[in-house]
Amino acid sequence: MNDLMQPSFDVKDYLRLQMMPHFMCPGCGHGIALRSLLWAVHELGIDKNRLAVVCGIGCSGRVGAYVDANTFHTTHGRPLAFATGLKLARPDLTVVVITGDGDCLAIGGNHLIHACRRNLDLTCLMLNNEVYGMTGGQVSPTTAVDRLTTTTPHGNAEPTFDACRLADAAGASFVGREVTRQAPALKNVIKAGLAHEGFSFIEVMSDCTEIYGRKNDLGESPEMILSQKSDMRPEAFGNVADEPFRPNRLRAGVLVQRDRPEYGRIYRQRAAAEQAKAKAKP
Amino acid sequence: MSAASHTETAPAALDTTRGLNVMVVGVGGQGVLMISKALALIGQRQGLQVKQSEVHGMAKRGGVVFSHVRFGAEVWSPTIARGEADVLIALEWAEGLRWLEFLRPQTGVFIADTRRIVPPFACRSRRHGAPMAYARETPAEVLDKVGEGYALDATAIARGLGESRAANTVLLGVLSASMDVSAADWLAVLETLAPPKSRAINLKAFEAGRAWADAARGDPSLSFDAGFDTHVTQADLPDVSVRHTINAAWCKGCDICVKLCPERCLALNEHQVAYLKAPQACTGCHVCEWLCPDFAIDVQTTLGT
Amino acid sequence: MTTPSLASLHGNRACALGAIAAGCRFFAGYPITPSSEIAEQMSREMPRANGVFVQMEDEISSLAAVIGASLGGAKAMTATSGPGFSLMQENLGYAAMTETPCVIVNVMRGGPSTGMPTRPSQADIMQARWGTHGDHPVIVVAPASVQEIYDETIRAFNLAEEFRTPVILLYDEVIAHLLESVVLPQRHTVATITRKWATGDETAFLPYAETEDGVPVMARPGGGHRIHVTGLTHTQDGFPTQKPDLAARATQRLLDKIEFNRDRIERVETFDTEDAEIVIVAIGIVARAARRAAQDLRAAGIRAGLFRPITLWPFPEAALREATAKARRVLVPEMNAGQLALEVERILEPDKVARLNRIDGEPIGPGDIVRRIRETAA
Repeated sequence: MNDLMQPSFDVKDYLRLQMMPHFMCPGCGHGIALRSLLWAVHELGIDKNRLAVVCGIGCSGRVGAYVDANTFHTTHGRPLAFATGLKLARPDLTVVVITGDGDCLAIGGNHLIHACRRNLDLTCLMLNNEVYGMTGGQVSPTTAVDRLTTTTPHGNAEPTFDACRLADAAGASFVGREVTRQAPALKNVIKAGLAHEGFSFIEVMSDCTEIYGRKNDLGESPEMILSQKSDMRPEAFGNVADEPFRPNRLRAGVLVQRDRPEYGRIYRQRAAAEQAKAKAKP
Repeated sequence: MSAASHTETAPAALDTTRGLNVMVVGVGGQGVLMISKALALIGQRQGLQVKQSEVHGMAKRGGVVFSHVRFGAEVWSPTIARGEADVLIALEWAEGLRWLEFLRPQTGVFIADTRRIVPPFACRSRRHGAPMAYARETPAEVLDKVGEGYALDATAIARGLGESRAANTVLLGVLSASMDVSAADWLAVLETLAPPKSRAINLKAFEAGRAWADAARGDPSLSFDAGFDTHVTQADLPDVSVRHTINAAWCKGCDICVKLCPERCLALNEHQVAYLKAPQACTGCHVCEWLCPDFAIDVQTTLGT
Repeated sequence: MTTPSLASLHGNRACALGAIAAGCRFFAGYPITPSSEIAEQMSREMPRANGVFVQMEDEISSLAAVIGASLGGAKAMTATSGPGFSLMQENLGYAAMTETPCVIVNVMRGGPSTGMPTRPSQADIMQARWGTHGDHPVIVVAPASVQEIYDETIRAFNLAEEFRTPVILLYDEVIAHLLESVVLPQRHTVATITRKWATGDETAFLPYAETEDGVPVMARPGGGHRIHVTGLTHTQDGFPTQKPDLAARATQRLLDKIEFNRDRIERVETFDTEDAEIVIVAIGIVARAARRAAQDLRAAGIRAGLFRPITLWPFPEAALREATAKARRVLVPEMNAGQLALEVERILEPDKVARLNRIDGEPIGPGDIVRRIRETAA
């Protein structure tokens, strides 16, 4: 059956209904990202009991609590580190990390690059809304140049990170990006990431409408989500000078997929060899 | 097979020696040009001047194709003026209606396949099974307006012979019954045009069309398909019923569904909660459900109504 | 073979072997002097024991990975020293808040900051108790010999598992790098405690239920009890709350869990305190010097004794009071500017307490203690 029919997927089967409605602001893209994740989980037939969702701190960090699975709301910037321990101890679990642009690239940047390098079988969703929403709208590593935030009252003077290029350079064996506007496509990228054995980094272009959108006069929620398409195709607007930084020329879809040994598998293979050696000794 | 088989009540055969204007219309892929080529060859065999003019190329996926064939002792203009076509052959029903005004009033012969190919722009609503903006005229209504008319499901006849693509040859057979051209000439032309592989099926299709026309010429009540249904739906799509529910308690009134619904069938009520304003316009496309950040919209689409 | 074996071990190595005997199957760490030998030993032992060793990118992620592994079901440990211990403070609080069993070894070195990495110190006594923010429970054990490092590492795991709390194993650089004979019991004779796993009804399950002993059972991922773990103040169902009464109850239970179980957590060692007019209160390597000092003083006719809290936090208050009941003077020698003394002064009459501090990176010797007692007892 095709996406239009989405035969048996009911997002409510994967939500903690007693927690709903969730506490995200009206129009926040994180809800759409969460649906896309749960949709992918459903299509892959992943058992809720064996699904672990590890989140950091911030708006993205609060997303996990709504998932009817094993959910962990950890410390700021550290979900990848928590997930590393969890996955190594429990390779039978599907471990998904939900993090934000600040959580993942600023305070947690070190963990990101090492998770990419280590290539443990984790799927990391970085919900990029270009701002620290929870704390009131401060500048983040992905805030576009000249944007107004509560800590860049005269416009952001710092360049922005291209998280996907960072992950690629750090060796992530799967890198993808999609906008929440294209929920089915986003679902497909997440699905591919979940199915990939190794570290999968997926940047989800989300929207902070209530704080960032208002501060920068980006329109209401519908306008913001509609503009995601033009952001993804800035060449149509002739603006390519600041590449690779947002909002210029961001490519979507699966950007990188490479065959690298998965760390957990390699570790277990070596451990097994060690144990065999120990047994062989008289 | 000749004019001899015509009954006393049958219309007179078209006199090709005085010249003839034939319009062949249809959509891409139906074989409009094959018919016009056959007519051109027939004209040549009669020792007449022939001019053929066609429009095609935008027709890959159902676009309009039409062809003018004129033959006579002396033909100057390659195109047929409005109201001057002696014959209008339509390989698609609505295309026939589109060009109807080119037919000579009172005397023109109208030959049409009742097969309907609904163009994409006829889709006024993307709801599964929604009615299409397509010609509502019945064959009986249309044939009433022309001098001599034949509306048949040529595609079904051709399919019955094993090759639905031979519908154009069926129509050619129908036309042949109205023309004073010998069967031998027609068969010779078909031999020339049809590739060896499909020669046999084309000959059979031609015969079938000609036999149908002979019968219809004898009994006008047979000249149109009485069971023609004017209600055209998206025939190739299954009928789907849509159940659209909005959980008002979860909706935060962000307006995304309202603004992004392709059918504009949602709105916010006085409490800033989304509701389905135009349920009949909802196609069950799921966009509102996918993009609702609050999981407040549930769209269930099931096959059948 | 059922007899215990005798081995000569460095303190840090004994720690690693004790951890494995206790059932530790996950170690994450980051190199730092003077604790690195623990990680090195674990990197060799873990694969053989069917466990996992991982060297993380820093101490923050080390403890994070340990907590992640523990929440997944593994007995887990990390080891570090002062600067790394500082980096672990946030996640230490997270472990306390989420009631995640784990063991953190802090081999104390000279500080502050980078300080004197190879020199001993006891300056993390207060950081171990109060390092992370907020009111939190914590158990700290402070061994004083290589044998005790081995034994207390096992006990640290047992306490962590029993009370679902982080346990800090705190010792100084001297015993970390001390080679001593250690009696290693046969593996099967080691008494280990493992956390209680949730069973039964999944829908009515409260992951932070107020149980009789104050310790809720844990939900093992994959077992069907799909729970939420958060560092936010949460109610019995595991979800955040800001309701004053519920928030107070949640935090109070965390504290009570340790407070009400003191008798099972506290451990002290005393020498000759029954009649002691002078009681020395010391931990770690200083306690060994203090014992010698007490013996020397006894020989010289001064009734001296030693009180050594093996469980440093919660501080064994009652035991201290009992041990110092007859004492007119209590001396707290320590390798810092005065931390243990603060607690002793809080519990006893402050005037009775004298201090002996050394912050030069050198251990305190028996002579130092004897001299100080002669000064203060005069």
